Amino acid sequence: MSAAPPPPSTAVLVPYGQGAARGLGVDEIGRHGAQFDRMVALGLPTVPGVTVVASSARLLTDGSLAERAVELLEELTGRRVVDPQRPMLLRLSASASTEVAGLPADLTAIGLTVERAEHIGEIIGREDEAIPFYRSFVRALAEGALDVDVDDLEDIQFDISDPREQILAMLELCATKGSGPIPEEPAEQLALAARAFFTQWDSPRAQRARSAQGLPDDLPIALHVEAVRVGPGERSGYGVAVSRHLQTGEPGPHGTYYRGLRRAALKDEAGEALTAESEGYALLRHALTTLERHFGTVAKVSYEVRDAELSLLEAIPVTRLAGAVQLRLAVDSVSQHGAPPAAGVALVTPAAVEEMLHPQLTLTGAEQVFTTGLPASPGAAFGRVTLSAERVLALAELGEAAIFVATETSPADVPALMAASGVVTSNGGLASHAAVVARGAGRPAVCGASDLEVDVAAGTITAGGTVLADGAMISIDGSSGALYAGRLSIRPADPPAELQTLLGWADGLRRLGVRTNADTAVEAAAAVRLGAEGIGLCRTEHQFLGARLPLIRRLILAENAEDESAALAGLAVAQREDFRALLAAMGDRPVTVRLLDAPLHEFIPHDGVYETVQQKARALGMREANSMLGLRGVRLAVLHEGLYPAQVDALVRAWADVRAEGGNPTLEIMVPLVALPAELALVMGQIHRTVAAVAGELGIEVPYTVGSMIETPRAALLAGQIAEHSQFLSFGTNDLTQLTYGFSRDDVEKFVLAAYLEKGLLSVSPFATLDAEGVGALIAMAVRDARAVRPDIKLGICGEHGGDPASIEFLETLGLDYVSCSPNRVPVARLAAARAASSS
Amino acid sequence: MTEAALGLGAEEQDALTQLVLRGMYQGEPSPAQQALVDAGLASARGAVMMPTQAGVQAVSGLLKCEKDSETEQKIYQLFTSFLPINRKLREVCTDWQRLPDGSPNDHTDSTWDAGVRDRLDGIHAGIGRILKRLSSVDATFDRYREQLGEALAKFDGGDRAALASPLSQSYHNVWMWLHQHLILMLGLSRKEDEELEEKLVREQTD
Repeated sequence: MSAAPPPPSTAVLVPYGQGAARGLGVDEIGRHGAQFDRMVALGLPTVPGVTVVASSARLLTDGSLAERAVELLEELTGRRVVDPQRPMLLRLSASASTEVAGLPADLTAIGLTVERAEHIGEIIGREDEAIPFYRSFVRALAEGALDVDVDDLEDIQFDISDPREQILAMLELCATKGSGPIPEEPAEQLALAARAFFTQWDSPRAQRARSAQGLPDDLPIALHVEAVRVGPGERSGYGVAVSRHLQTGEPGPHGTYYRGLRRAALKDEAGEALTAESEGYALLRHALTTLERHFGTVAKVSYEVRDAELSLLEAIPVTRLAGAVQLRLAVDSVSQHGAPPAAGVALVTPAAVEEMLHPQLTLTGAEQVFTTGLPASPGAAFGRVTLSAERVLALAELGEAAIFVATETSPADVPALMAASGVVTSNGGLASHAAVVARGAGRPAVCGASDLEVDVAAGTITAGGTVLADGAMISIDGSSGALYAGRLSIRPADPPAELQTLLGWADGLRRLGVRTNADTAVEAAAAVRLGAEGIGLCRTEHQFLGARLPLIRRLILAENAEDESAALAGLAVAQREDFRALLAAMGDRPVTVRLLDAPLHEFIPHDGVYETVQQKARALGMREANSMLGLRGVRLAVLHEGLYPAQVDALVRAWADVRAEGGNPTLEIMVPLVALPAELALVMGQIHRTVAAVAGELGIEVPYTVGSMIETPRAALLAGQIAEHSQFLSFGTNDLTQLTYGFSRDDVEKFVLAAYLEKGLLSVSPFATLDAEGVGALIAMAVRDARAVRPDIKLGICGEHGGDPASIEFLETLGLDYVSCSPNRVPVARLAAARAASSS
Repeated sequence: MTEAALGLGAEEQDALTQLVLRGMYQGEPSPAQQALVDAGLASARGAVMMPTQAGVQAVSGLLKCEKDSETEQKIYQLFTSFLPINRKLREVCTDWQRLPDGSPNDHTDSTWDAGVRDRLDGIHAGIGRILKRLSSVDATFDRYREQLGEALAKFDGGDRAALASPLSQSYHNVWMWLHQHLILMLGLSRKEDEELEEKLVREQTD
């Protein structure tokens, strides 16, 4: 006993669950201790244990405190470590106030001797069960607390194979070459174990782990001494479980159960699957449900079953969830547990929605699953079943897709793994060499398809009675682990039903409208199915790429007024049909049609094939140094005054056609690339006159609005004047970003951006996420000035940023009316807009 | 099979062994490698060289320990220490590549990455001790110690691919060559290897 009186043990030793009651926070009782406070407060059954508070944890290396810790634990459990009938062991673990890598590994079985280990084996019903635990314990103490040379210990492990003899040799080594023998008394063992913990916690290795996490070198840790109550193997064990399936989100306990003494780390392969018949299942289900509702996310627990009675050993929230799980959790929490829709929406990240809409195998329900394995590397692929590495390479040279199928792989197969479209192995798990290589190479892979028989000699693979020959088509889903016979098509996924529910809630919460950028009726219809409320941008020039290219060329390259009006007539006829289909697809939703913005290099490339020699010559004559800043947008309409009227004529007639069929889309006509209020005024005059003329001719009234794109910094700066001529403004943030930075996107994306990102000059590409500081400031100013002139002006954006969650969050703060994005991002934008509205 | 039967010099023999253990070689072939192609022991497919079946058989014969010899026993004993740590290395690579939910590791969670790196430390120390003993049986194992050390240094220098990339001399690649080397010395099938590993892993308490 030491001379100076130690602090009273009640201030240092805190039984599990009593931290908060004693006014101790996570900094004193550690994350592990705080978990027990929480579990006890929730009324859940927990294992008995004692926390040694962080500020005094090093005192546990002193025998007297260790003695009191053992006594306290024996009091709490009603057991004694050395009791022959109802023995227990001690488990030592450590935790800090925050999650930290480099903590000492738990010492799982303190209190053993060879005799006690054998006795415990008898109780469990497995003679040798406890021996390896004692060996690990002796080894850890010898190395960490008794200064025994590691090489001497290794020699024993390499030279002696019988575990009992290894133990005896190590005990001998401690006594002769170490700083002392391994004691038999449990409290003395505990004190040495604590010393071994601090040796490791203070080691350069652990220091490095802390510095990698930006944590202080002297971060204090609390120690936890927990009871390991021993019971008969058939009614006692331990396991891990989560409150939902981690791939599908299916609610209910999912996990594994192990018999025997609890190990430091759980081995997936060694356990029995948890079933409703497992001991303690009902209580486990209750605990997981309670914890999930408490955490607001999936709960994960470790548990112990002793004599069929359940106690929790650990309970943590699972923070990273697959998209399907987030979604299921959100829908269940609102529909079943009465959480408000906003809470459900907050549970699903836009990235998860994106992931759900990723290309995957198209399943109709008619295809048969050939077999399943573990989802080892995500993605979908199809190809020919190929059983030899050489054949995979041969097929790859021919440009044919091969799925490399093998029982297992060796380094010799690496070239084939790289060349294959996908990989399947019948053996091995998620951590097999094949899985590591496939992930490294970005190839979809299914590993450990244990029902699969691979017969290389016969050239067949067999599963569930179905035989496929080498060369047969097969499709694999590396995200679900499923294999299908035949070639399935790969396309963007249909959103699951729960997503519709969630997005319905999101629609009720968001303030921003969500429209789509769509140029054709097919795109428009797809976007409407995904929830688009209108078209925010129809790029009319896109209707003239491909077979219609000559129409627009004839206009741009017209030699005289006659040629020009002939070209315009052709253009109007073609556009009327396109507009009719597009407007019809949109029902009574708003449709913003942007008049032609045709960068010349896209429409009259210098190396293009032209109808006549004269055309070619004129095209060469019009060649621009920088087409993105040349004759495009409204400038073309200023030079060819018949252009926009022809387009508007076609649009109004198309609208009249659709109106006659019962549709009633709202027409919004938009002028691109404006820099001068005067050029806008000029073409607005053209538009208004054309609408009036056509409406008069048809004898109908045509409701429509006109607006301007804001793509040039000058237009943004003069938004007040622009607004005088516009009922709406749409920020074209792709061009606005290019012109604000002076970046030519095609050029900077090649070299500049990567370097800027690497050097930390930019944290994200301004073309992916809107630059709030610069481009955003221009938009903010334009919004303010435009609203000052015309308070009811409608404001939106139609750049790619319209589908980016981070940009949407920023745009919400500016008070825009809507965002417009590509059809497949509409669901992402709906969710992001709702989350932005809730957080602002 | 003996050196004479193959008709190869020491350099060619080493080149063939390396080629078989690694499965492939990419780049300009050395004269020794060219000799292997000429002898029908390797084939070149574009810039990639791979061993032929004859080459693989030759190396299997070359490396295989004499049955029941002292060397075989020593190697087997060390192999039983290697397999549990082999599992840990694959788990560490897996955790470096993917997060527990199956999504790719985007390396934004410094605690997760530090935990992976910390576990790699224990593995590196463990394999070092095994390789030291393997080297006393067969000096060619020294090479792996050097290569693993180099890969770890690259990894610590910030090269994230140096742990598990399939195309470089990454830690996992060197490890796979070592594993294959041991399997060939013991004449084990991959199935026997997996079953033994599973059995040994189950016996671990940590």
